[in-house]
Amino acid sequence: MAGRRALRSGSPVVPLLPRRAFLAGLTLATLTTGAASACGRSSPVGREAAGPGSLSVGAIPDQDPEVLQRLYGTVADSLSAALDLDVAYTPVTDYGAAVSLFRTGDLDLVWFGGLTGVQARLQTPGATTIAQRDVDADFHSVFVVQSATGLAASDDLRPLAGLRFTYGAETSTSGRLMPAWFLQQAGVDPQGFPGGPAFSGSHDATLQLVASGSYQAGVLNEQVWAARTAEGAVDPSVVAYARTPGYPDYHWLLGPRAADLAGPLRDFFTGLRADDPADAAVLDLFGAGSFVPARASDYDRIEQIGRELGLVT
Amino acid sequence: MTALLARPAAAVPRLRRDRRRWAWGLAALAAVCWSATGALDGVNPAGAAQFGAFAAAALSPALDGAFLGVLATAALVTVAYAVLGTALAVLLGALGAVAAARSTWGRRRLGRLATRGVLAVPRGLHEAVWGLLLVNVLGLDPWVGVLAIGLPYGAVTATVFGALLDEVPRGPYEALRAAGAGRLAAALYGLLPRAAGGLLSYACYRLECAVRSAVVLGLVGAGGLGYQLSLSFGSLRWPQVWSAVYALALLCLAADVAGRAVRRRLAAPRRRAGVLSRDRVLTAAVLGTLVAGAWSWWFLALSPASLVSARAREQAGFVLRAAWPPSADGDLLRSVAAAAVVTVQTSVLAVVLAAVGAVLVAGVAARPAGRCSPLRRLAGVLVRLGLLLLRAVPAPVWALVLLFVLLPGVLPGAVALGVYTLGVLGRLAAEAVEEADAGPRAALTALGAHPAGGWLYGVAPLVAGPVLAYALYRWEVTVRDTLLVGLLGAGGLGALLASELAAFDWPAVATVLTATVVLTLAVDLVGDRARRALR
Repeated sequence: MAGRRALRSGSPVVPLLPRRAFLAGLTLATLTTGAASACGRSSPVGREAAGPGSLSVGAIPDQDPEVLQRLYGTVADSLSAALDLDVAYTPVTDYGAAVSLFRTGDLDLVWFGGLTGVQARLQTPGATTIAQRDVDADFHSVFVVQSATGLAASDDLRPLAGLRFTYGAETSTSGRLMPAWFLQQAGVDPQGFPGGPAFSGSHDATLQLVASGSYQAGVLNEQVWAARTAEGAVDPSVVAYARTPGYPDYHWLLGPRAADLAGPLRDFFTGLRADDPADAAVLDLFGAGSFVPARASDYDRIEQIGRELGLVT
Repeated sequence: MTALLARPAAAVPRLRRDRRRWAWGLAALAAVCWSATGALDGVNPAGAAQFGAFAAAALSPALDGAFLGVLATAALVTVAYAVLGTALAVLLGALGAVAAARSTWGRRRLGRLATRGVLAVPRGLHEAVWGLLLVNVLGLDPWVGVLAIGLPYGAVTATVFGALLDEVPRGPYEALRAAGAGRLAAALYGLLPRAAGGLLSYACYRLECAVRSAVVLGLVGAGGLGYQLSLSFGSLRWPQVWSAVYALALLCLAADVAGRAVRRRLAAPRRRAGVLSRDRVLTAAVLGTLVAGAWSWWFLALSPASLVSARAREQAGFVLRAAWPPSADGDLLRSVAAAAVVTVQTSVLAVVLAAVGAVLVAGVAARPAGRCSPLRRLAGVLVRLGLLLLRAVPAPVWALVLLFVLLPGVLPGAVALGVYTLGVLGRLAAEAVEEADAGPRAALTALGAHPAGGWLYGVAPLVAGPVLAYALYRWEVTVRDTLLVGLLGAGGLGALLASELAAFDWPAVATVLTATVVLTLAVDLVGDRARRALR
């Protein structure tokens, strides 16, 4: 039909679609879209809960995402039962994203490392430090070396200066900031390894890269090192070299949107008891004996070191 | 991209030596040698075990129900991003085409140059960088994915649409104008119908590319398949990474096959008894795309209001105030210059690796024209599948696993990008072989030439030009891609950008991004000149 019409009008090009079908399709599409927008469907990528009485929980991806999913699934259920809130866990892909999403208000309550927590707090007016684990006031990192280097465990960090070296994530407190600081204190340029230091992105990747020999030395979170050693997951060619002195690390930070929950949340975390089976499950997943209240000033030292190393601006 | 449409027609052979080409050839050789000096780092055989763990997992991808369910939802998000991103790109392209067309400006070269400069900014930044910036403004919002694809693609589309409009014969337009029609009406009725085929074909090609881009976006946290991939990648769960890679490869394959079928039908409209007839497949494709667009909008629950919400304005204000003025610190500028050198070296090596590889596999990867043995057919299928997997594994994943077996430096990044680009270039080279004139080779074979000789003297000279042109075009793309692999020990502007972003040093981020845009523009210009010398 349309073909004949087109021929009559002398056009050499047949329209791709009959006009009526096109218009009908367009109307249908518009109507469906309109109807869909009207029913207020929640997006598969946006935040799930946004109303009052809801809390979105996040964490820096310092561990296996599946472990995190399980860990924060448990925390979310427990929080939701205790405070009568809709609690949803949102995984993020990197440390910087956790900070950005805390600033934009997509994440209300985030388990930050020392440095990322400082970054997030400085960028987000009204953020409150809630609690830390009993182990966080005195946290440690472990320098590891490839056994082929022939280095024996020592407290002297200077021999590391000549090795190909990898940190963990760029803004990891235990995998970057504090090790870099202790290296600097020992007289080693923290940016000066042969070819420059690498950033593996995670504690597990650091272990793999040192095991492969592409990097001869690296540094990671002591908790992860202990856990992987206990699992027998560490390649025998990776050996511990030195343990850093203690420093404050992880903590819970609450965003301004949910500021009125600061008190209840602090009570919830510090009230977790190891002798209660449900609480013990949460504490166990965090590798903690208990949570203790934390203040912003606990992280002043981290902030100062961050400024000195150019990681806090 | 223009290269795809404007395939060099069978050129009249010129039998004299072109001085210009010699100059370009020597310059290219020098550039390759210089880049290679940056990559004398060597290999690390001891890391074979770690690389083996990655490779072995290819045969045992994670197949548990829960994870596959997660992947399926993620794949839908990726498709929705690709469809809406392309739709936005086509819309922007259609609007921008008028400004980008040579004929709009006529002799006013300044205006055209200005437009070209404006369009260079969005396309000079990688989709993933757009994604990162948009996440900082919009947070977790589906618009991030749609805009991160739509903005840079829109700029490229505007350039190509403009070129297509320029190529349409202007007779009908002039006639309509002379008959008193307004400019708009004359363009709509005199220019648009003739250009429609090319425009649709290009839009289709963009959709194919958008699927791959949507995946990369996930790597920066915007959701979809790449997001799941990067979550598994972060903890080095290789079986899960491979499941995501296979899902990706399937999506890319579907997009490739569908896109090719539609483009082929557009290029050669069907005729029944000498009369052009409506193609039901094309009608279905257009209707299907419209429905897919509506579905994507519904599925992502896009809300235009969130683009202008108070939060978006506040965050955009925060980022812009923090980033202005860009840092002009001497130390930073020096590291930017050093990083730019590494980026250029990485990209040159990557493209050379990819081009050499593409030439080597093109013969086998091309679908043979006539009948051939089942063995040859099987080899062809295997090579094509291999190339598909090479381009389905995102470059950052290649960079990390190659770092197990290569010592840190320029080399791991260059090989990672080279392997990925080989996946793309290999397919283009195979298509060039398929489309090359079969005559010379047939003649040589009939005269008793060995198959290899027939290929070397009958096919290779014909496809060398197009393959080199594609390689030069991919060079610009690779420069942008180096931003992605810079996250590891691979260095370059990407590493610098990652560390400035990690420290939230916005003025420095602005400087690095400016340097990236300028570098991309420069490489684009050089590549363009070199391609012209090849024609």
